[in-house]
Amino acid sequence: MTRTNWREHEWQLIHDVPQAPALHMALDEVLVEEVSAGRRPPTLRIWEWAGPAVVIGRFQSLRNEVDAANAAAHGIEVVRRISGGGAMFIEPGNTITYSVYAPLSLVEGLSFEQSYAQMDAWVIAALLELGIMAWYQPLNDITSHIGKIAGAAQARRGNAVLHHVTMAYDIDAQKMLQVLRIGREKLADKGTQSAAKRVDPLRSQTGLPREAIIAHMIDTFRQRHGLRDDHLREDELARASTLAASKFANASWTAELP
Amino acid sequence: MSYTRSMRHGEYKMPGGKLVVVDLDLRDGQIAAVQVSGDFFLEPDSALADIDCALLGAPHSASVEELAMRVSPALSAPVQTFGISAEAVAIAVRRAIDGGNST
Repeated sequence: MTRTNWREHEWQLIHDVPQAPALHMALDEVLVEEVSAGRRPPTLRIWEWAGPAVVIGRFQSLRNEVDAANAAAHGIEVVRRISGGGAMFIEPGNTITYSVYAPLSLVEGLSFEQSYAQMDAWVIAALLELGIMAWYQPLNDITSHIGKIAGAAQARRGNAVLHHVTMAYDIDAQKMLQVLRIGREKLADKGTQSAAKRVDPLRSQTGLPREAIIAHMIDTFRQRHGLRDDHLREDELARASTLAASKFANASWTAELP
Repeated sequence: MSYTRSMRHGEYKMPGGKLVVVDLDLRDGQIAAVQVSGDFFLEPDSALADIDCALLGAPHSASVEELAMRVSPALSAPVQTFGISAEAVAIAVRRAIDGGNST
């Protein structure tokens, strides 16, 4: 397989109405499979959240990462995604989340580390244009000198790679600390005493509304790689809805690693 | 696997990598139940169960090197790893056995 470049693909944009956390997890699985099978062109999907969520990584222990009682008390849905990486605390309006569903050929011959940087080069460029000097912090963070902005994760399925990223726009750090258990081992490595200080959100760094940042990101992607407006097909949404109920809202998946 | 409240807990953050967490149970001087978890990446994801399997039956006195040798085949090609290694798993296991308070 020869590596392809972004311009060799017909990129599609999906930016749908707010959806439930379990449905977002299912859409990632369905859409990466659609791209792998060649039934869907490579796609950028911007997420809108219908409710608060904690999203844990594929290989994380539910009990080690989440305070279930506090999450329930705040009405926060806990879901497990199909990619590795760390737990994310999400409230609607507080994050910018997107997925790129790409053919494996786009990252052919690249190391994992290089492929993460490659998949988000357009975001680094978009942030620069907004006045944020951001860079890729291996293995899977986007950061500026002020603090971490975003975390990325990838999962490969057949002939496609899912690359998804959650960026902090604003954050209720106190609530985050109530629902996420962040171990001392991790904090010690980051050289910080406070988990809240590890993240510096885009709102304070840009002063821009969330929608304006998203619009600029979409423009940047469109200019660099080409992008046509698209929508979820009925069969994609139907499959994802079924999968959301049978798998992602089901404890046998969420608590697979208790 | 069985996962009980008596498990011992160990964590290790691999330099330049991700966090590896181990919860395990010892019986008759051997690892009788184990769960490796963390914010690392593995392709395919079924490799995680192979790591756990490789650790079952390891003696509680096993060194980091011996534990890493047990785990290594589960993390070798065609499995792809990002932020985790056999050594990192072995160190987290050792920490769970040595210092891991029952939770």
